[in-house]
Amino acid sequence: MKKKTRRQFLIETGCCAGALALQPIMGNAQTTNSPLDMVVCKWKGDPVPEEPTREIAEKLLKKAVETIGGLERFVKKGDVVWIKPNMAWDRTPEQSANTNPDLLRTLIELCFNAGAKTVKVGDNTVNDATKSYVTSGIAAVVKETGAELIYVDRSRFKEMEIGGERVKKIPLYPEIIESDIVISVPVAKHHASTTVTLAMKNYMGVIENRRMFHQDLPTCIKDITAYMKPKVSILDAIRVLTANGPQGGDLKDVKRVNTVAISTDIVALDAFGCEILNYDPNQIGTVKKAFESGLGQIDYKNKLKYQEIAV
Amino acid sequence: MKFKKPRSWTQWIRRFCQFVFFVLFIILAWNLHFLDDEDPTGIYKIFFHLDPLIFLLTLLSTWTLAGLSLLCIFTVIITLLLGRVFCGWFCPFGTLHTFFTWLAQLGKKKKEYQNRTSAHRVKYFILFAMLGMSLFGGHWFGIFDPFSFFYRALSTGVFPAFHIAIEESSTAIYKEDPKILGVPVTKISEPIYQKLRTHVFRMSQKTFYTEGTIITFTLLLVIGLNFVRPRFWCRYICPLGGLLGLISQKPLLRLKNDESTCSNCRQCSKACPAGAQPDQRGDWLPTECFVCWNCVASCRSDSITFQFQVPGKKAIATGKLDYPRRTVLTAMATGTVGLLGFRVAPQSKQGQPFPETLIRPPGSRNEREFLQRCIQCGACMRVCPTNAIQPAGIEGGWEALWTPKLVPKIGYCLYSCNMCGQVCPTQAIQPIPLLEKQKIKIGLATFDKGRCIPYSYGRECLVCEEHCPLSPKAIYLVERDVTLRDGRVVKIKQPEVDPDLCIGCGFCEWSCVFQDRAAIYVTTANESRNPKNQPILVFGDTYSTGTENSSSPY
Repeated sequence: MKKKTRRQFLIETGCCAGALALQPIMGNAQTTNSPLDMVVCKWKGDPVPEEPTREIAEKLLKKAVETIGGLERFVKKGDVVWIKPNMAWDRTPEQSANTNPDLLRTLIELCFNAGAKTVKVGDNTVNDATKSYVTSGIAAVVKETGAELIYVDRSRFKEMEIGGERVKKIPLYPEIIESDIVISVPVAKHHASTTVTLAMKNYMGVIENRRMFHQDLPTCIKDITAYMKPKVSILDAIRVLTANGPQGGDLKDVKRVNTVAISTDIVALDAFGCEILNYDPNQIGTVKKAFESGLGQIDYKNKLKYQEIAV
Repeated sequence: MKFKKPRSWTQWIRRFCQFVFFVLFIILAWNLHFLDDEDPTGIYKIFFHLDPLIFLLTLLSTWTLAGLSLLCIFTVIITLLLGRVFCGWFCPFGTLHTFFTWLAQLGKKKKEYQNRTSAHRVKYFILFAMLGMSLFGGHWFGIFDPFSFFYRALSTGVFPAFHIAIEESSTAIYKEDPKILGVPVTKISEPIYQKLRTHVFRMSQKTFYTEGTIITFTLLLVIGLNFVRPRFWCRYICPLGGLLGLISQKPLLRLKNDESTCSNCRQCSKACPAGAQPDQRGDWLPTECFVCWNCVASCRSDSITFQFQVPGKKAIATGKLDYPRRTVLTAMATGTVGLLGFRVAPQSKQGQPFPETLIRPPGSRNEREFLQRCIQCGACMRVCPTNAIQPAGIEGGWEALWTPKLVPKIGYCLYSCNMCGQVCPTQAIQPIPLLEKQKIKIGLATFDKGRCIPYSYGRECLVCEEHCPLSPKAIYLVERDVTLRDGRVVKIKQPEVDPDLCIGCGFCEWSCVFQDRAAIYVTTANESRNPKNQPILVFGDTYSTGTENSSSPY
């Protein structure tokens, strides 16, 4: 190895010190110009169009994505995108147990526009995949947009180390993990065990057998979310399920909220989802646990660059 | 002696016809599952509806025409006119045996099998025994009916085995990821498998308990019997063949063996798969003949022809049915005694303790009527999207052998599905509109509180509550204090079942964290079809009223 001259050493040290001294100023400069962390888009169009939701979904999501800086921020050219909606149940879009197919249509189109090579849509379903995919209306949308509908094959999960607090080693679906970006697109729902089920809980769909995690859902969900390192998540609150979740079934439990939220901070997104369903996020185990382990912020209005817009 | 090349074009027409019907049967059977936009239930039943045996015996045991198709008259008419062409030209099970008979004789010198033997009587014996049983309200011929037999074996054995073969091998390739000349094999195997998964298999793989294996073995057995005698099943066992034989005693189309040209070479007798003795002039057996025309093709002197019996012309002499009337009575008596033997079981006595695991599919008639209709064809087992419907063993008595039952640990009754009733060819499971079906109780869920996690281990669980498809849910939560080992008292939500709401679909049992013996399980208690199996007094409005799901779009 070549020896360093004293002069060289001094120059390098000086440069480092200078850079360190400048950092706070530069950092500040960066934050002021940096794009938003979270956007909530509410439908103010009057009157609210009843079914179908196609127009609302398209306008809300496009506006939200545009305001946060476009999907190009997250999806690079040639990326393989895995969209992870809620579509585990054999329920219709109106019953609101699965993500709104109209929202997914727009999202898939936006992904392709951002330069995605392939967009895969898939979930480890509870009811039979073939039936759930069709009943949820998502199969038709995926076919229409040219994305790939993936049937998650129970025998193809691979044991992976995730080193969480409660979950150390777990079978995950390789195709999801190998994707360049995984976008969680949940629908806001009530859930008896965790009170609400939102973007973090949606990641339960990438694991093979999640039944035993119900014994300590907040910690397990936090572990998996920490491993998945979500870049961006989108909350579908066009229709929300207020009771008898996560499956619903009764249209009386479904409420039209006409809101779409997008966030780089999954905890903040879930906190917002709690508020939509009229719960205090500080009381919800999953959100609280994730906040305490530093995955994100609950107080999104003050801690994040947040914007609320009406369409 | 002058030899001529056997005439074979008639053979090829017959083989083509057999092939078409065989393939049609397989395709219809295979496609009997949930499809995106097509109704799979329509045309598949045609084979069952063409079967006069199903019509006759179900009519005799139930004394009603409800749910029966008159399409079988068509079969009866062509049999009256042409003899057992149904067996020789159309029956897919017969085609299977034709193929294996050919395979068995491949490369072997053709043997002459005995023409008329007393073994031919066996199929008539089975037919009359089943007839005797049906007269007294029994119904067991589904075990022997060729379509039921074949269909059952396909849906519980052959198709699942095929699915396993493809799925396991492609998964093995996927996991090992081998390379040939640097090119990964998955590059080729994966697209093929995904195409098959999406367009051919569609539903997830089905598995069946031991009974499925036994059913498959019965199929392998009757296939193997072709190596003992040509078309062993068709000539000796098949009760439908027996019934068609009874009808075709004096057919319009008859075999004529020309005395003047016949050289008595007995080639026709060697070629005959039925043992219908075409070589015995004037004693050809129309009741046994499949009208396959092997004899015509094998004849080197063109002496054998099939001719229509024109009225007024001299009748072409035929052999007679070899089944004395006294034997008919013996067979029917045997069937009746057999039925009595079945009914000795406590399960058959109505109002007696009912087998707890014999959960019938939704829409099933009450047990007696159900057994009087079910032909054990396995169509419901094929169509069930969750693999819940399994062939029963003898827990419901011998009469209920291989009838459908739900095993919730394998699959649950899907709330938004009523396919089993739609496909049942005899309406043992009634076709019920979805909204009605969702109100039918097939059982009642019960907690095993010594096992259930919130009760015995002081932890949250609630997976069953999450899965309950009703709205409001039949499983509700009660928050109670639970003392842990270190003396701490924690509040735990514990699940309970509302017996007024629970429909017994078994989604909870299926979803339970315990994979060996679920902590919530369904028994037949409360099932709508059995008024004597109602242990829970209905309190009406005391419990939450959620029985009318009027706003459900299903």
